[in-house]
Amino acid sequence: MVSPLYSKQYVASVTEWWSRVKTAHSVWRLTRLYTGLLLSVVTILLIVLYQLSIGQMNRQQGLQMANIIAQQNMLAEQLTTEQFLEQFKLQAQSSRQYILSYQIDQKLFGRLSEIPAGLTQCPSLSRFPIWLDQFDEIRLVSGCAQPMASGTLIVAVDDESLYELKAQFISASAVALLLAVLLGIITGLVFSMRVLKRINSFNQVALRVESGQLSARVAVSDHNDEYDHMALHINTMLNQLQHSFETISGITDAIAHDLRTPLSHLRQQIESEILTKQQLNHPSEQLESMLDKLDEILFTFSAMLELTRLQQQKESNSQHFKTVDLQQVIIDAVDLVEPLAEEKQQVVSIESTEPFSIQGDATLLFRAIYNLLENASKYAGNNAQISVHLTPRGFTVSDNGPGICDIEKDKVFQRLYRIEKSRGVAGFGLGLTLVKAIIQLHNGKIELLDNQPGLIVQVEFLN
Amino acid sequence: MRILVIEDNQTTRQYLQKALQEQGYEIDLADNGQDGLFLALEGDYQLIVLDRMLPKLDGLTVLSTLRNAGKQTPVLILSALDSVSERVKGLREGGDDYLIKPFALSELLVRIEILIQRKGTHSEKLTSVLHVADLKMDLLSHKVFRGSTEITLQPKEFKLLRYLMEHNGRVVSRSLLFEAVWDYQFDPQTNVIDVHMARLRKKVEFDGLTPLLETVRGVGYRMVEQG
Repeated sequence: MVSPLYSKQYVASVTEWWSRVKTAHSVWRLTRLYTGLLLSVVTILLIVLYQLSIGQMNRQQGLQMANIIAQQNMLAEQLTTEQFLEQFKLQAQSSRQYILSYQIDQKLFGRLSEIPAGLTQCPSLSRFPIWLDQFDEIRLVSGCAQPMASGTLIVAVDDESLYELKAQFISASAVALLLAVLLGIITGLVFSMRVLKRINSFNQVALRVESGQLSARVAVSDHNDEYDHMALHINTMLNQLQHSFETISGITDAIAHDLRTPLSHLRQQIESEILTKQQLNHPSEQLESMLDKLDEILFTFSAMLELTRLQQQKESNSQHFKTVDLQQVIIDAVDLVEPLAEEKQQVVSIESTEPFSIQGDATLLFRAIYNLLENASKYAGNNAQISVHLTPRGFTVSDNGPGICDIEKDKVFQRLYRIEKSRGVAGFGLGLTLVKAIIQLHNGKIELLDNQPGLIVQVEFLN
Repeated sequence: MRILVIEDNQTTRQYLQKALQEQGYEIDLADNGQDGLFLALEGDYQLIVLDRMLPKLDGLTVLSTLRNAGKQTPVLILSALDSVSERVKGLREGGDDYLIKPFALSELLVRIEILIQRKGTHSEKLTSVLHVADLKMDLLSHKVFRGSTEITLQPKEFKLLRYLMEHNGRVVSRSLLFEAVWDYQFDPQTNVIDVHMARLRKKVEFDGLTPLLETVRGVGYRMVEQG
């Protein structure tokens, strides 16, 4: 007995397996092509075989019947009716395979005792049963009627064995074709499973690289086949990519880091200069605006360094992860952004609430969510509606502002990228990059969707 | 008031010395972890400003040795490492506050003052009602009154006002307010705290009443008895 739970799991795993196999479209295309070819080859073979065996026999039979008809016709023309009937009786008695009868003036000579109903005219044949004395049984024969000078000739041939052969041939052909289709499907399944398994290993690596794990590599088997060659090429490419990525970010980080120290000292000097001026009651506005600009630069550098740290050391960053109540973090972030939104007559709401906790860093998550809310408030315009939804796998932040066009949806996650129309708004183009890095650090995915009108930022955590 | 500054970078060290002396503090200096630890253990300081990365003995090691020896002097950690895990590490080892380089001098001074004040007032902080002028905050019933009028505050506004009232008369920076009220350690880098303060101000200083909240330019806010 199979327990219901077990069978449920079994069904679930089979459906999952099937939905995976189904997606191997290219393999299924090949399978269809292969099955089609197999079917046509088998069909052609069967037709040829038929023509060479049964067809040949059929034709020979037809030929012989035509011969007999021609012969009798000739005799009927050359002999007198009495002579003809004489020789016909002899002929009808001696012929074993052919059943001959001749009807003249409603009288029937030969083997048949009566003319079967619905008999067709030669050369088309019709089937009818007769009683055969030598076999002591009823057999089906094929025959036809041929009108001649003085009467009608009826020729029939006992072809029951040929008919049986035909029927057997047809059922054997059907089985052969069915087997060919079955073979095609089985081959397709086996191929797609094998191919899928290999392709999946590539997809997994691509996914991991996409989520920021540049160190992921495709496993190479010892078959040394085309997949292994592809894996080797992809791995080499990833090695180069990782190397250049590290070099580039290393350079920017080195610049940011090395410049930070002298800039910090510059900041200290300007600050003490301001203090001195203030004590002497001298104007210090110019120095203060210098300080503001310097702070912007230092902030950008810090954000860049932090970004690299978040993107690179995924493992060490997640060491201090704790259970974080995402709902609480969202409530806190909304609390913080609310007065900003209020200034622009915007409404911020938390639409659906359900407890959701993940392993993570509360401060980083708060930054990410606050950043998204602040962006929404910044770019959605006055009177906008901003709402946060908790979803079963994460959350969304949506607004009904102008949104972002599709071309720019990927670009906004790049470092220092700013949409043309947002250049007037204060910012550095690092916010969304930082948000994405934080979400990826938490094994999540961030996507920009259309709210028609407006933007939906959708965050999903994968575990 | 004696403050010990343990900092290996000469420019920063001199800058800190000058700025703190101008504020009336007496300063002792150490340029490496070993000397710093020795001074911290021997001397009697109100506060120690400790760099995170030091030659000879790392800042965190200095801190944990100090705490293991039973010294409870408040320690403000300065660090160029601004990741959250670093900050958590520093505070876990017994640091009282953590400031990321580069920092604004005003921010450092505000934090130093609050750390020193916290130590001094620790024992007498058992009150359940806070008073500043005619502003009264009942910590148990969560009610706030200006004179006889009750002020309705949202939870975060309540926390904000409470922190300011607890530090009555002292300047508190925006980032300190943010950390105290939201309990997340980062600098939002926008005027968001100002907007919150403006909203709080509207509720507390209604109908042209005497202002109690003063903006300290470039630094933060201060609660004052007389405007």
